[in-house]
Amino acid sequence: MQLFRSEEHLSRWLDGRPCGAVLPVGTLSDLAHAWWGDRVDPSWRPHTREQNQAILDRLGLTGDFWRLP
Amino acid sequence: MPVDDTDIALRNITYGLFVDLGRAPTADEVAAATTTSVDQVLRGWQRLHDAHALVLDETATALRMANPFSAVPTPYRVTASGRSWYANCAWDAFGICAALHVDGLIETSCPDCDETIDVAVRDGRPDDEQLLFHCLVPAAHWWDDIVFT
Repeated sequence: MQLFRSEEHLSRWLDGRPCGAVLPVGTLSDLAHAWWGDRVDPSWRPHTREQNQAILDRLGLTGDFWRLP
Repeated sequence: MPVDDTDIALRNITYGLFVDLGRAPTADEVAAATTTSVDQVLRGWQRLHDAHALVLDETATALRMANPFSAVPTPYRVTASGRSWYANCAWDAFGICAALHVDGLIETSCPDCDETIDVAVRDGRPDDEQLLFHCLVPAAHWWDDIVFT
């Protein structure tokens, strides 16, 4: 899970290997806040699979790639 | 055995020390903070590891990850509120600012060209919206090998 300067840099780094999922960094920040925002809160409880899937769905991260087990 | 409230309390103290120290606490440090034994800490950590609430290293006696924090140096360094931590990946780097609810600076480099990438996070937004995030492993397999993911 890495940050790249641009699509060109990512393509060169992949060098023909299969690409995973690519997101704008703004979407990544939104995802991080939804996923990790409660992580050091005293009231933290483990997220259920359904809670985590709802976070992904809400951000439009749908389809097989984003389907949790 | 599933985690219970005692394990979650142990987990919260572990995370609190990670934040305060800027590094992973040892089992001895957590035992001292919880007035329990090192053995009790390690058994609790193992249950939390099995529940994916933290990640132990291969010795099972030390932390490897308390996501989004990394116990080992990585290419993702996050500075916020006068302290610094390593993140496990780009997602977790933003996650540290999110978890602490603070602005911060993420220091990393582009895997392609090795050029430094510094991203300031202010009010939850990165100051360079041109960057791209690449996630190689599908969600269904993230925990098959979380260190690789």
